[in-house]
Amino acid sequence: MSIKTSILIIINSLIAFVIVVLAFSSYKEFSNVLNDRILQQLNSIKTLKKNQIEHLIQSEWQKFESSELYNQNSDSIPFILPDSIKKINGIHDFTRYHPNKKTTIGFILNTKKGALIKILEYNKIKNILFERTGMGSSGESYLVGSDYRLRSESRFYPNTIPYTLSVKAENAIKAFKGKDVFNIRKDYRGIEVYGVSSRIEIKNLKMAILSEIDVDEVTLPLKNLKERLAGLTFGIFLLAVMLSLFLTRIITNPIKNMQKSLKIMAEGDYNQTNDFIKNSTEIKEMFDALANLKASLQGAIKFSDDIGKMNLTTDYQLKSTNDLLGKSLLAMRDKLIEFRNNEENTRILSQRMLVNGMENERRRLSRELHDSVGPYLTSLKHYIENKVENEKIKKEMKKIVDDTIAEIRLMSNALMPAAIDDFGIGVTLTNFIENIKKSTTVTIVYEDLTKQENSNITNHQAINLFRISQELINNSLKHSNAKNIRITLSEFDEFMSLFYFDDGIGFDVTTIKLGLGISNIKERVAICNGKVTINAAAGNTTFEIELPIES
Amino acid sequence: MNEIKLIIADDHKLFREGLEGLLKKHDNIKIIKSVADGDEFIDIVKNQLVADIVLLDITMPNRDGFQVLKELKTLNSTIKPIVISMYDDGNYIAKCAKLGAYGYLLKNTDESELILAIKTVSKGKKYFSPEISEKMINFMSTQSISENVLSNKETEVLGLLSKGLTTNEIAAKLYVSSRTIETHRANILKKLEVKNTAELIKKAAEMNLI
Repeated sequence: MSIKTSILIIINSLIAFVIVVLAFSSYKEFSNVLNDRILQQLNSIKTLKKNQIEHLIQSEWQKFESSELYNQNSDSIPFILPDSIKKINGIHDFTRYHPNKKTTIGFILNTKKGALIKILEYNKIKNILFERTGMGSSGESYLVGSDYRLRSESRFYPNTIPYTLSVKAENAIKAFKGKDVFNIRKDYRGIEVYGVSSRIEIKNLKMAILSEIDVDEVTLPLKNLKERLAGLTFGIFLLAVMLSLFLTRIITNPIKNMQKSLKIMAEGDYNQTNDFIKNSTEIKEMFDALANLKASLQGAIKFSDDIGKMNLTTDYQLKSTNDLLGKSLLAMRDKLIEFRNNEENTRILSQRMLVNGMENERRRLSRELHDSVGPYLTSLKHYIENKVENEKIKKEMKKIVDDTIAEIRLMSNALMPAAIDDFGIGVTLTNFIENIKKSTTVTIVYEDLTKQENSNITNHQAINLFRISQELINNSLKHSNAKNIRITLSEFDEFMSLFYFDDGIGFDVTTIKLGLGISNIKERVAICNGKVTINAAAGNTTFEIELPIES
Repeated sequence: MNEIKLIIADDHKLFREGLEGLLKKHDNIKIIKSVADGDEFIDIVKNQLVADIVLLDITMPNRDGFQVLKELKTLNSTIKPIVISMYDDGNYIAKCAKLGAYGYLLKNTDESELILAIKTVSKGKKYFSPEISEKMINFMSTQSISENVLSNKETEVLGLLSKGLTTNEIAAKLYVSSRTIETHRANILKKLEVKNTAELIKKAAEMNLI
């Protein structure tokens, strides 16, 4: 689930919960208060009417009792009362005896003149009951007899004889037992009402007064409230959803952008330069951190790229002490340097061994020619001197042998001059160049500035310097058209320097191939741990070769 | 004419035999001993064997010709050594001459010259043929050994420095690398115990080096 959805669900469900709880509790509270108010009001109306009715009946009774003049004879009564009733003095409910079951309350007084009976004027009671102040549009008060049938006229069924309407027993039962009742119940119409009931406290008159008001009327404001609350809830919820949508946009857009950036970076592209709207300090800092991360990654990438190209002199600044990537890259570079050095050392070592082996072989061959073949040839010459009688042949033969010996000497010197072992490089080069001078018109000047005694040039270095000089002179004579060659070999305490100059046509250092033996020279300098500087300008070609004194 | 007593010291039997055959024809030369290496020869010298001349090869096992020459000098021997070698380079000749050789011959020297050399040396004279002498002198002329405080090259560098040339100019002029000139300059400063070029010129002038 995305952050946006989560935030929306959390915020909105929280808001919805709060609103619903608030609305529900306020509704409940309001409804309770309303109930209480209604019942209290009903009760007070009922009590007032009860008292009024009681007072009316009592006062009518007293009037009846005191003025015998108005006493009605029982004959005047339009219905027949059973004798058992007639014998009881007091106020009675005669309704059930009325032929039309019209509500009738009557007084009975047995005097010396016989039983006096008076019917109370029903309208007086009706006026009291129909007094509707505080009863709303559906409220009514009515009387109920002990048979649970109505005694007073129903407002709702004005043409129906009240006696024919009966209430549910439980609504009146408690009232008859002398208890005041407050509750919500169904009335005689079967409609939900708030109702209170109470017994009329008059001797012999078994009647209860009930005040009721329709639940629908009472709860009308509640319904309105409910609707308004629902509307309000819905409105607030709608507002909350909109606000939260806006809020999540503010929060999630940068996160989405960040996610986008990170995705691009995860794909390995660190060069994206998207600008994002940064609408808060935290988000700005987050993007700054992202930019820093990107920059440091780019640095690391550039560095690893350099390492990959074996540019091992590149350095990398650690971003912090915890820059593990940088540290491992540096460690990798150091390892690579180590590997390369090892490889270079191994390569130079094997090259050196190869060259040494070759030079040893040349030395052996050179010695063999010089010290074995040479003496045999001299012996041959002695033999000729001793045995050949013919002077002419003797002379010719001796000449051939001498030429052969001279050739052997040249070959031996070219292979490896014995002087290099016996006299060192300085003298060897002197001899070598003296010999070359015999066969060329090029002016060669060699200056030997090596130490005559206690020279620190090793045999290995001497051989390589000799080979390099051989190669250089050979190149100059073959390719350069030089008129002058100058060679200086200087030996110092710390190093030796072979300086070679010719005034030939020069060559292109960058395009020169193996042909001129330049790489051979470089190789030999390398295996002696030396360095070579080549300047191949026409008319001024120089080689500066420097080897360290190994002591 | 007295008989010349001769020893041959060479590791090649064939060469020794050839030489013996050659010299046998000459009555006044007697080969009294023939040895195959330097040690053997020194042994017989120490045993007071009387001989006039030794024909000495340079390349020999155990003790080479140079060492033998040195040993003869140390022993104050009266045997006069003639070096007979395959090497025709000036440095070998110069070294042998320096170590007290009376003569230097190439192994393929003609009989007549060999006899001439033996006879010359037996009279107490030295024998170096014109070709041998030339090779020796050529070689020695390339050797620049200076008796002065400064080497010849250093004196040259000093002279150019005093003329106000820069290191690079001197390097180009003397056909060496700049670092070589810098090192020469540093060595000169050290040898003359001065700290900079100005002091160096002053001191060099005082010492009449420039």
